[in-house]
Amino acid sequence: MEKKSGLFRTLVYAFLSMFAIINIFPIFWMIVNSFKTEQEYSGNPFSFPKVLQFSNYSKAWEVANMNTYFVNSIIITFASLIVTVLLGALAAYFLSRFEFKLRGFTYGLFLLGMLVPIHATLIPIFMIMKNINLLDTYLSLILPYTAFHLSLTIFILEGFMRGFPRDLEESGVMDGAGVFRIFWSIILPITRPALATVIILNFIYNWNEFLFALVLISSSALKTLPLGLANFVGVETASLTLQMAALTIALVPILIFYLLLQKQLVNGMTAGSVKG
Amino acid sequence: MHTLKGTKYAIFFGLLPALIIYLGIAVVPIGMSAYYSFMNWDGIHPMTFTGFDNFTEIFKDSIFWLSVKNNMIILLTGVLGQIPLGLLLALLLNRSMKGAGFFRTIGFLPVVISSVMVSLIFGTVYNTEYGLLNSILGSVGLDSWQQNWLGDTKWSMFSISVAYIWQNCGFFMVIFLAALQNIPNEVNEAAELDGASGLNKVMRITIPMIRGTILIAVVFSISNSFRVFDLIQIMTGGGPAHATEVMTVYMYNNAFVNMRFGYGSAVSVLILIFSLIVVTIVNRLGKEKA
Repeated sequence: MEKKSGLFRTLVYAFLSMFAIINIFPIFWMIVNSFKTEQEYSGNPFSFPKVLQFSNYSKAWEVANMNTYFVNSIIITFASLIVTVLLGALAAYFLSRFEFKLRGFTYGLFLLGMLVPIHATLIPIFMIMKNINLLDTYLSLILPYTAFHLSLTIFILEGFMRGFPRDLEESGVMDGAGVFRIFWSIILPITRPALATVIILNFIYNWNEFLFALVLISSSALKTLPLGLANFVGVETASLTLQMAALTIALVPILIFYLLLQKQLVNGMTAGSVKG
Repeated sequence: MHTLKGTKYAIFFGLLPALIIYLGIAVVPIGMSAYYSFMNWDGIHPMTFTGFDNFTEIFKDSIFWLSVKNNMIILLTGVLGQIPLGLLLALLLNRSMKGAGFFRTIGFLPVVISSVMVSLIFGTVYNTEYGLLNSILGSVGLDSWQQNWLGDTKWSMFSISVAYIWQNCGFFMVIFLAALQNIPNEVNEAAELDGASGLNKVMRITIPMIRGTILIAVVFSISNSFRVFDLIQIMTGGGPAHATEVMTVYMYNNAFVNMRFGYGSAVSVLILIFSLIVVTIVNRLGKEKA
C-alpha cells in the first residue's frame, strides 16, 4: 500500500472523519443544547443558543442533587481505590518477592477473579450485606469494588515487582529492617509507575460502576453519580435541556481526566481487560 | 528468595486481608449462588429446597428464551459489528498519516465514559419527539423514516445494538492497532517483494499475523456480551414488552423486583454456564484452525 492513490487516501479520510463525527457529534450536540432554553431546543435542535443558559446548570446541579452524588462518588471511589491498591500491593509484594509453599496456588486463585462475572455474585453479595447490616452504606460498595479489582491490581503489580533484581532488599536486610519496612520504604517507592496504572484503572472502574450501586444503595443521600444520574433522567423526563446539563456536568471531569491521562488509560484498560 | 526470620507469619498476615475480602466477596458468593438456585426463597422467609424446580420453570418461560435470543443478538453485534469495525479502523490507522492520534483519541472516548453516560446520551439521541436522530431525519426531509427507536418493538433491539457498537468498537480498534504495530517490518517488506499489496496483503499476510489477537478479542467480546446490563436497563429497562430483555436484566427483575432470589440465582447460574460453553467452543474452533 505504499503507492497510495489520491482517491484511496481521500476515501480513508472520509471514512475516518465519518467515524469521528458519529463518535463525537452526539456529545457535542448534547453540550450545545444544554445551554438552550426548552423552547429554543424544541424549536430547533440544531441552532446554537442565543444566550448561554447557565441557569440550566445551576438548576440541574440543584434538582439532580449533583452535589451529593459527586461527594458520594468521590468518597466511595477513593476509599475503594486506596484499600485495593494498598492490600493489592502488599499481597503482590509477598507473591513476587518470597518463595513459599502455596505461592503459586494463591496467585492463581487471585487471577481467577478476573474471570468472575459480577452478576453471578450479585444476589449473594446483596444477602451478605443485608445480614451484616451493611446494606445501603458506603462500605457495602467499597467491599465489592475492592474484592473485584484486587485481581487485576495484583496481576499488574506482581508482574512489575517480580522484575526487580533480587539483591534489592539486601541493603534493607543489612540495616535490620523487617519485611514490612522493606515493603514500605524500598519496594513501594520503585513500584510507582505500575502503581500509577493501577490507581488510574481502579479510579475509572469504580467511578463508572452502576450495577452494584443499583442493588446495594437505596437511599438518595448515598447514591453515586451513575446511579443518581440514571435516576434523575428517569424522573425528570419533562426537561431535556436540564437532563443534558446534568449529563454534561458528569461528563466534563471524565473528559478532562481522559485527555490528561490518555496514554495510561488506553494502555491499562486494553491490557487489563484482555488478559482477564 | 531471601530468608528472613519469621517471614512465614509476615507472609500470612500480609496476604490475609486481601484474601479475606477477595474470597468472601468475589469467590464464595459463586458457590452461594449455586446453592440458592435450588431454593425457593423471597429473601425474608426461610428458604425451602425445591430441587430443579427453578430450572424447569425457567426453561418453560418464554420471556427467558426471548432474553436468550436477545443475548445472541448482542453477541453477534459484538462479533460481527464491533470487531470487524474495530479491525477496519485499526487497519486504516496503522500507517503514517496525519491525524491518526486524533482519530484514536476520539475512537476510545466512549470506552472511558461510563455505560450509564452512554445510555443516557443515547436516550437523547433516540428520543422520539426531540431526539437527535429523528431531528436529523426530519431536517433532511425523511420524516417517514422517523421511528420510536426505543419504544417500538421492531426497532428497539436494533437501536440498542447500535449504541453497543458505538460504545465498544474503539476498544477493539486500540487492541488491533497494538497487534498490528507488533508485526515485524520484515514481514511487510517480504510481502511487498513478493508482490502482495493492498487488500491481498491484508487478507493473506496481515490478518493471519494477528490471528491470536483476533481470537482473544472474539472471546472477550463474547464474555462481554453476556455481561451487558447497564446499557439496556437504563435505555429501555428490558421493554417494550420484554423486547430488549437480556438474561442479566431478566435475572435482576426476578431477584430484585419480584423478590425471587432462588429463581434469580438459578438464572445467574445459567448465564455462567452459557457463557462458559460459548467461550469454550470458540476457543476450540480457534485452536483447531491454527
